[in-house]
Amino acid sequence: MKTILVVDDELGSAEVLSLILEEEGFKAYCAVNGRQALVQARDVVPDLVIVDYMMPLMNGADFARELRADPKFADTKIVLNSGLPEAAIREQFDGYDAFLRKPFKVETLLALVEGFIGR
Amino acid sequence: MTSSSPDNVPTIERLRSAVPGLDQILGGGLFRTGVYIIQGLPGCGKTILANQICYGHVAEGGSAVYVTLLAESHSRMIQHLSTLSFFDVKAFPDKLAYISAFHDLESGGLKGLMGVLRREMRTRKVGVLVLDGLVAASEGASDLDLKKFIHELQSIAVLQDCTVLLLTSGNIHRMAAEHTMVDGLVELEDKLFDARSERSIQVRKFRGAGPLRGKHSMRIDNDGITVFPRIESLYRIAAGDAASSESAVTSGIPSLDALLAIKGLPASSATVVIGSTGTGKTTLGLHFLHASTAEEPGLHLGFFEGPERLRTKARSMGMALEPLEAAGAVELMWQSPVEATVDEIAERLLAAVARRGVRRLVIDGLSGFLESTVYPERIARFFSCLVNELRNRRVTVLMSLETRDVVSSVISMPWGVSGLVDNLFFLRFVHDEGHVERLLTIIKMRDSDYQAGLRRLKIDSQGMHIAGTYRADGDVIPSAQPVGNPEGAPPSPSK
Repeated sequence: MKTILVVDDELGSAEVLSLILEEEGFKAYCAVNGRQALVQARDVVPDLVIVDYMMPLMNGADFARELRADPKFADTKIVLNSGLPEAAIREQFDGYDAFLRKPFKVETLLALVEGFIGR
Repeated sequence: MTSSSPDNVPTIERLRSAVPGLDQILGGGLFRTGVYIIQGLPGCGKTILANQICYGHVAEGGSAVYVTLLAESHSRMIQHLSTLSFFDVKAFPDKLAYISAFHDLESGGLKGLMGVLRREMRTRKVGVLVLDGLVAASEGASDLDLKKFIHELQSIAVLQDCTVLLLTSGNIHRMAAEHTMVDGLVELEDKLFDARSERSIQVRKFRGAGPLRGKHSMRIDNDGITVFPRIESLYRIAAGDAASSESAVTSGIPSLDALLAIKGLPASSATVVIGSTGTGKTTLGLHFLHASTAEEPGLHLGFFEGPERLRTKARSMGMALEPLEAAGAVELMWQSPVEATVDEIAERLLAAVARRGVRRLVIDGLSGFLESTVYPERIARFFSCLVNELRNRRVTVLMSLETRDVVSSVISMPWGVSGLVDNLFFLRFVHDEGHVERLLTIIKMRDSDYQAGLRRLKIDSQGMHIAGTYRADGDVIPSAQPVGNPEGAPPSPSK
């Protein structure tokens, strides 16, 4: 079973997204900031992470940089999301595989996920 | 952050809010490192106010963080804010960040929440921190816990040089434990008056300074929030001596000036021209305006006739306003009587007066103010302060006021207007052997003599002029009397 880590400080959003992914046949995990997500990622080595950009403690960009620097996650796909436009994010960080502007439709996300890691 | 005052007592610096009018009612702005509650029911503008302060601080070179608990999602908030002019996407993420601390509150209670706030202040070095959702934070906590939370927050705010705004939709009429602790309490309200609603802001508590007390009107539009300080609180100081000037200002009608002992209106005085529709009030105002020069600029504030109609009307009587406008001698300003509060109109008016150093002002349709107010009981004090301020700025004001009755010998002065009048002219129609004639009567002139009696008034292609004395039988001598209901409350406004 493919594993996905959802990282969002708005815990309700992360939980809802995780439930949907579980219903779609993925194994989903949640974290509420980048630092917590790193701990979980090292534990489960997810196939894909869906990570929010603005979070306390460690933001999505810093989390993704840590992930990219670790060969253990060489195959892990990173989907960054934010309410901000991508152009504003890209100026700061561009090490992600896909960007989703919030709010997004779940079909859009699922298509992206399946395109990256299948089912 | 503090600085030293002359007697070496450290004073706390202010935080400029970037919300027009807010710093004015706060007496200079929020105090830096203070902890303030912004309170009001959902939809009253708390989120916009707090964001506007954050973006304003960022624009000044600072940084801010907006912490939510159980509030609208960040993406939705950003979507809403992106339509406002102060929104700046370049502020993210280094200068401004939206983060949620609900997980920390849920897992660690107020202590967990405090950990997040303390960490965010330190790591981001923010000058402004907003905590949106104090209600969520206080649920389940005792009064003592909440007081301790705020006390700790105040200590950290001082250490980190951070101003903290706590947003809550808690019951605005209940004195909560947290109210006793914070440095200030600002209340927002959106109140319905029949079908019309009016937003207001009130500083209920403000440690360390005397804010302008009472409710002040507030507008939310694409530029965010603008506060319009209540004019009575802004100009509460008594009028100066400007009104004692003995110089004269031409009315713009030589034959009318000839009736006045000083050959014009007293400078810096307020004249009300009262009469029914069609009697010539606007025309008299246009003459007064047309006498404006670049050295003595004029301003026309109209509630009912727009600039183009006024230009056409003036042109038909041989008065071209366009060249005066082009030369900067005249400005025509139109104001809807129903889409703004009286304080907003007054602020706009006084700003226009200050911008061009206006000396001659026509307010065509004084009842436009009456229609703009949802608090008619204010109107007497409002007019008194506005006219006093205009006198202090050496503005000579001519105002028109429409009576209800087309043919009448009784002047019904709306409640609150009679007190501000220095000079009073009455225009009216009379029937005379099958003809309708216009009459002008000077009812009152401040500190100067005038020729009393009934004067025929003619309006033709050369404009308005006095055409001799009218001799009449019967009851045509007007008598001025204020009107109001028996309880003394103001009457409902009429055009």
